[in-house]
Amino acid sequence: MKVLIGSVLGGLVVVLIALLAFGVLPATSLKLVEGYMPMQMLVELAGSVAIFATVSYMLSQGGIQLPRFWQGILFWAYILLYLKFRVYPPIPFSVRAMYGTVSLIAVFMWVSSNEEDWKKFKQPIMNVLDANTGFHKGLRTVYLVLLPILLWGFSYSSFLPNLDEPVELRTVHPAPPASTKVHGKTFVLQTSQNPYRVNPEGKYDQEYSNARIVEQAMGRLMKPDANPWDEKAEGYLKYVREGGEIFFQNCHFCHGDNLNGRGLHAFAFNPIPANFTDPGTIAQLQETFIFWRVSKGGIGLPNEGFPWASVMPPWEQHLTTDEIWKVILFEYWHTGYYPRTWD
Amino acid sequence: MGSLTKKKTLAIMALSAMIGLLLLPIVVSVPALASGGGAPAGGPPPDVVKKEGGEGDKDKKIEKARDVYYKTEGIVSGLPAPKTGDNSKDYPRYNFESRVLLWFANQQHLYYGSFVLAVPIFCMVIEFMGVMTKDKAMGKKYDQLAYDFIKISLTAYSLTAILGGILIFTFLTLYPAFFGYLSSIFRPVMHIYALMFVAESGTLYIYYYGWDKMKEGFLKWIHLSMSVILNVIGTVLMFLANSWIGFMMSPAGVDEQGRFLGNIWHVIHTALWNPLNVHRILGNMAFGGGVVAAYAAYRFLSSKTDEERAHYDWMGYIAMSLGVAFLIPLPLPATWLMREVYAYRQQMGITLMGGLLAWLFIIQATMIGILFLSTNYYLWQALGRMRGAERFQRWIKYFVFLLVCGFLVFITPHTMVMTPAELKAMGGQQHPVLGNYGVMSAKNGGINVIITTTVLTFIWYQRGNRVPSVSWSKFGNIFMGVFFFFAYVNIIWLAIYGYFIPANVRVGLSVPQVATTLSCLFFMTALNLSMLKGAKQIGPIEWGKISVRSQYALIMLATAFTWMMGLMGYIRSSVRLFWHVNEIMRDNSPWAYTHTVGFAANMISFNVLFFWISIMFVFWLGTLAAKKAPVEAKAPVPGQAPQPAVGH
Repeated sequence: MKVLIGSVLGGLVVVLIALLAFGVLPATSLKLVEGYMPMQMLVELAGSVAIFATVSYMLSQGGIQLPRFWQGILFWAYILLYLKFRVYPPIPFSVRAMYGTVSLIAVFMWVSSNEEDWKKFKQPIMNVLDANTGFHKGLRTVYLVLLPILLWGFSYSSFLPNLDEPVELRTVHPAPPASTKVHGKTFVLQTSQNPYRVNPEGKYDQEYSNARIVEQAMGRLMKPDANPWDEKAEGYLKYVREGGEIFFQNCHFCHGDNLNGRGLHAFAFNPIPANFTDPGTIAQLQETFIFWRVSKGGIGLPNEGFPWASVMPPWEQHLTTDEIWKVILFEYWHTGYYPRTWD
Repeated sequence: MGSLTKKKTLAIMALSAMIGLLLLPIVVSVPALASGGGAPAGGPPPDVVKKEGGEGDKDKKIEKARDVYYKTEGIVSGLPAPKTGDNSKDYPRYNFESRVLLWFANQQHLYYGSFVLAVPIFCMVIEFMGVMTKDKAMGKKYDQLAYDFIKISLTAYSLTAILGGILIFTFLTLYPAFFGYLSSIFRPVMHIYALMFVAESGTLYIYYYGWDKMKEGFLKWIHLSMSVILNVIGTVLMFLANSWIGFMMSPAGVDEQGRFLGNIWHVIHTALWNPLNVHRILGNMAFGGGVVAAYAAYRFLSSKTDEERAHYDWMGYIAMSLGVAFLIPLPLPATWLMREVYAYRQQMGITLMGGLLAWLFIIQATMIGILFLSTNYYLWQALGRMRGAERFQRWIKYFVFLLVCGFLVFITPHTMVMTPAELKAMGGQQHPVLGNYGVMSAKNGGINVIITTTVLTFIWYQRGNRVPSVSWSKFGNIFMGVFFFFAYVNIIWLAIYGYFIPANVRVGLSVPQVATTLSCLFFMTALNLSMLKGAKQIGPIEWGKISVRSQYALIMLATAFTWMMGLMGYIRSSVRLFWHVNEIMRDNSPWAYTHTVGFAANMISFNVLFFWISIMFVFWLGTLAAKKAPVEAKAPVPGQAPQPAVGH
């Protein structure tokens, strides 16, 4: 019975991988839920480990011992396939290579964690090297022929002309200058503040504004009594509304009406414009950093901002200083993120 | 007066004389320091002084200027920082990149310097353990171990001094303008440094050569207190050297032109000095532990007898434990240092962690992960030398899983390397799954999971061949299990929660995360030890009967330490970009650009390789000495490791 359960479970995993790998079952059929994706991936990996351990246990209880060598190889292959075919959008090769290497190290650590397991793992390799059975002699001969062919194949492919665009090391957040001059006024980035992030008394108050941004979770719901489009809205919320109007007149064509970088013109560019809803963009930065980037645009990227692939106009040529501050206010309000502060 | 009392009196007098000699340079220099270094540091050359004197004191104007960091006013007491040009006068050169030569000399000096500063700290701790332990056989073993440690560092000490000389000559011959300026500012500090070095050498030689003469009774305590003095001197030496690099990164005590303002304390006590000091002490000790562990591994692998293997297995274990003990708190001063960097100059912080040098930080994360993975692997292998520890083996795969999940999150780059085609397929610069791992909140969770799992591994190691027999052991086990479970839950939950709160609060979340990890480390280790009091032994520890893979793990650990140290030194130095002294003295040499990541990695690897080849020579010298030394009585201790094979 245990063998049957183990076999069925293992078989299901193999079938699932095959369906995913051959595209019969698109990766998107098993949804990665927005907002939960990072944990979902880790939970799925944990589930995989549990299934593999269960299958192995069930089979061993039933007297079928999967060789440790093949356990290790199969599990590693599974991780590589999972990363390649399950996670979408596709993971860049450089990151998959890092993950694959770490997984290989993990498999090595597991199979060699004690002497007995390590011997079991090594045995098939040692057999290929020096066992005197007919099968192993044949296998050695096959390797003798295959290995040079494999090396020849690698050499040949490395000599083929490669027309792919080269890999780019990007600097997403180049270091800002100490100060920036916009419309004749100098703003010190470390100390300047958004003049519209104010409480009803007109004083700069981040806590007040933080309490009125939309919720970060799915749906991005507005807080009760914090609707900037309410005609009675005053102060901070009124400035958010004004910022929103500026955003939809100027920015949303590229940055999208959900601020996720998928605007009308977005896909004409590579990379597409910054996705403000991602926790790695404006959520990581000071408002003054955004102020500097918006004012100076792609052309104002500093030397270290490689590969300078940004077509954003220098908005200081089109907007007033106040308008830039208001649009930044709106971006933080809409995404539900808080600008970075120092205290 | 008995002979022993005479000896005591002589020893105390010798020690007092030594302390007196040690403090002499400081006492002599105190009035000079108080008045800003006697004749003004960085002052004009003698001919200029003479000229000014000739014009009469009445015409002499006292010029005041403002400190760039402390914002206090001071009397200008030095010349401005020289404005260099790309010529052979300011930057004499061979037909080779001078910066690379300097990089090499500096890194090698630092490796050896760190090692010889760290090892005496271990010696002090181990010798103290030997004195305090009630088990005489164990006491002797500890004493032998401490002696073995200091023996290794003695040859390394000469090499440190030689490399220091090479470094100074490299500075003087290739960067004369810059070094002239730096030494004019730090003149009294450099003299004190040199005198301290003399004191360090003297103390070290007495400490080493007096080991046998001072091995009993009161003299042993004198010997032990000498190790304290040795470490105090070593630490002060390092602090003084740190003040130079602190000044280069975050200058103080000078005005905008780089003119010295008469207060040497301001020049020493820059914004980054103290964080650098603390970070380097812990870093050196972790590094030193790694190198000694690698030495033990090397000796283990080349051992011919079981006795030798037993001794070096034990030595490797102790060195590794000490190294890791200092590795675990290392992220705290590192965080403090980065916080101070951000507070000093935001651009510097972003260049380091978010901009130009961000990829190097990913490499650093990888090295940190390798350190912890190697440690865990070593401990799992070490379970193999305990009979009865087999019961833990089947759980190791789950530990591997936890470690690797933490590691994968920890090394995920925020800025991914990809082709434009991959960028397009990904639909933007941010990956919706992996992008979340690339920020600090997730990474804090990742590293804390790794460290907590390492603690758990260590607790299992402690239990390897023992079963708690206290009446409350069941309750203790449940408590421990629940504690660890909620520790993981807390760490992971805070990592997720970090996405939903302001950045300043998020940064603060690392405090409860680290507190959780440290609670596991301190409380659970203490609880485990108290549960293991009078525990039932289910098998012996068979020192020396450990897989060779474990020894390679120790070598891996040491190599990772060395590589990481080289990497972080490069990052710290290159963050100044095109400045010799940040915002004060510009680097106008043709090499004032940031190297590519590939070049830097190759250079670091070369430095690491050179260090390991040279230290292998030092290890080999150690084996020569051991062969000549008389072998002491080697009475095996029942149930313990056999006596070491080498004597002194």
